[in-house]
Amino acid sequence: MKQLFVTICFLALAPFVFGQITGTGHDFSGATWNQPAAGKCNVCHTPHNAITTVNDAPLWNHAVSNPTYQVYSSGTMQAVVSSPTGNSRLCLSCHDNTIEVGGGLKIGDIGGGYANVGTNLSDDHPISFTYNSLLATQDLGLKDPAIATGIGTLHINQSMLFGTNHDQMECASCHDVHNGYGFDHLLVKDNVGSALCLTCHSK
Amino acid sequence: MKRYLFNFGHAIFTTIPVIILLCVVSGSRAQSIVNTKHNLSVSGPGSIKSTSESEICIFCHTPHSDKAKAPLWNRRDPGSTYILYNSSTSSTLHATTGQPDGASQLCLSCHDGTIALGSVLSRPTEISFARGISTMPEGKTRLGKDLSNDHPVSFTFNSSLSAVNTELKDPSGLTGLVKLSGGKLQCTSCHDPHKNLTYDFLVATTENSTLCLNCHQINNWAFSSHRNSTATWTGRGPNPWTHTPESFNTVSKNACENCHSPHNAGGKAQLMNYHVEESNCLTCHSGSVASGGRNIQVQLSKTYKHNVNAYTGIHDPGEPALVRAKHVECSDCHNPHSSNADDASAPNVKGSMYGVKGVNNSGMPVSSAQYEYEICFRCHSSNAVTGAATSRQVIQTDKRLQFASNNISYHPVETKGRNMDVPGLISPLTVNSMIYCSDCHASNGVGSPAGPHGSVYPQILKEQYSKAENVNESAGAYALCYSCHSRSEYIQDNGDNVRRKIHYKHVVGVKTSCSTCHDPHGISVTQGIPGRNSHLINFSTGVVSPFNGNLYYQEEGNRTGRCYLTCHGVQHNGFSY
Repeated sequence: MKQLFVTICFLALAPFVFGQITGTGHDFSGATWNQPAAGKCNVCHTPHNAITTVNDAPLWNHAVSNPTYQVYSSGTMQAVVSSPTGNSRLCLSCHDNTIEVGGGLKIGDIGGGYANVGTNLSDDHPISFTYNSLLATQDLGLKDPAIATGIGTLHINQSMLFGTNHDQMECASCHDVHNGYGFDHLLVKDNVGSALCLTCHSK
Repeated sequence: MKRYLFNFGHAIFTTIPVIILLCVVSGSRAQSIVNTKHNLSVSGPGSIKSTSESEICIFCHTPHSDKAKAPLWNRRDPGSTYILYNSSTSSTLHATTGQPDGASQLCLSCHDGTIALGSVLSRPTEISFARGISTMPEGKTRLGKDLSNDHPVSFTFNSSLSAVNTELKDPSGLTGLVKLSGGKLQCTSCHDPHKNLTYDFLVATTENSTLCLNCHQINNWAFSSHRNSTATWTGRGPNPWTHTPESFNTVSKNACENCHSPHNAGGKAQLMNYHVEESNCLTCHSGSVASGGRNIQVQLSKTYKHNVNAYTGIHDPGEPALVRAKHVECSDCHNPHSSNADDASAPNVKGSMYGVKGVNNSGMPVSSAQYEYEICFRCHSSNAVTGAATSRQVIQTDKRLQFASNNISYHPVETKGRNMDVPGLISPLTVNSMIYCSDCHASNGVGSPAGPHGSVYPQILKEQYSKAENVNESAGAYALCYSCHSRSEYIQDNGDNVRRKIHYKHVVGVKTSCSTCHDPHGISVTQGIPGRNSHLINFSTGVVSPFNGNLYYQEEGNRTGRCYLTCHGVQHNGFSY
């Protein structure tokens, strides 16, 4: 029985290619602005004396920005979008272009492209909103995160949402900062056929 | 063996739920954009698709951009200035339309044909399409920048509008599939770009015009033949319904779309299928669907007709009841939203003329004629689009005045007749009967439709009515008159004054026409003289002339009278009978 379970788990995960951070945009080891020989992780993490201003920040080593953001709004959106909270704030600490990534350079200085989202988030997919079964009943264009499949065989709320209730959509819902899945743009799913989009959007 | 059986059974138990699950999944897939023509990616099912792009949403949406606006729109604003469907297009539009905004503007970033389908904000170069397609190819989905032949969008649809245009429902009732966006009707009110649950991405079927009737409530529509008829294409002439799904094979299924097109309408005003007004009617009323007594095209091929073919672009459904610019179209006399096969007796309108404007016997406009003559008076009263057919002593081209109830004499069109002694009325007619204009003015021929569509006889008369002199009397020569006034009661060389002295002697003897002495419509009290113009006497001055300066008939009661005139070289100087 145990074997069967293991086999099922293996089969469920088999389609996914495990990636790594090396060589991605988040591999800062060779960046001229980074401290020489400081490694890949130091821009974001430190083993000691980590910053604790953001809940659940994983041994955070980077200053956390706190600008005023313009958030996304739409007449067809039922979700209530707040200013970024949770782990999205960690991402925005580099990607909002308000403070340096490192070495005195902001993301705009090192060629961020669309990764430089700025503080105007009204042209970006909303984040830091509650996405739960109730929202899916209000917006029929969304799948029920407690039922629909997210990553692998897990439901959306189990695999793609954050917070204590597993109901917060964040940057990390779509992007794995460490490139754990090996897809372009650090996506958590291959977006061929817009598969990532259609994970949540019932279109 | 047992073990295999167990495994087989196990396999069945595990496989069936999987199959069911797959069915559910594929069922929901059928409602997904993935399987629609809006999937422009390489995986798309349509013929207009990319040769390289694998993402589906990208053609419209992007998760990140420095220019996108809700809903994360990945396309440029076309910046086009559109020709609108507005009050200059249609006099019956009450909404105020402006340049497309909101979702409609987004749709037009492909559908106006100005921006390449593969030109999106999040790709540095245009995404390539099969067959070298760049902008949307010509066809019904490329609306262009002229939207004046398309259903208006981007207008505020609120209860104020439905209060002004009572043929619109109050939008507060739009709780179903049709939705407004920000209080405005947009493309997305009728179309869901992500799902093609019906066809053309419509949110509801247009069979029986279900979709249209979410907003439109048309007076009398529930009773209209055009809503209820199950008539099908007879196979004669072209199929009139090539613009709707093939399963829409009856009049009732096509409903609004029998005549209207929400896009690319041939006739912009009211979004008619055809610019030439009567084409909208004759497409079916030519034997192709409406045959036999409803084939109007046959009647319109006759010499004398209400010549709807002669006018285009003059009729306006918003025009006043009393027509000013001379024209005639089918819808001057018929309301296709209301008409049905109900019968009626004179003077009440029949079902075919329900819901048509009219001018009543006081000369006042009415929004929905109660009596048939009110519809005739739209053109044949004070505006008299036609002159007098026969020159007479008393000339009056206003038919309303000719039939007025206080007239000296008249045919009983507006009210019952004045003469209580009319010999030879053919049953069931009595002196208390009333008649329609269309009892005399109608298409000739057995089985022809009622009403003055077309006739081989002048003045669109139902039967022959000879007005010339020296015509041998016959049942046919005056068939029109004889259809109510018994020939045998008038044309006998015996009997009383009415038979022998007056009618037999004149009509048979000297071969003069009924029309020589009688004005079939009536003589106004303001023009005629009591006693002289009774019995519809109003001499034709082309035949009858004065004697000694006198030209009149004098009634003397009890079927007697005398005449002062010269006719056929014979002089009557008070000749009495």
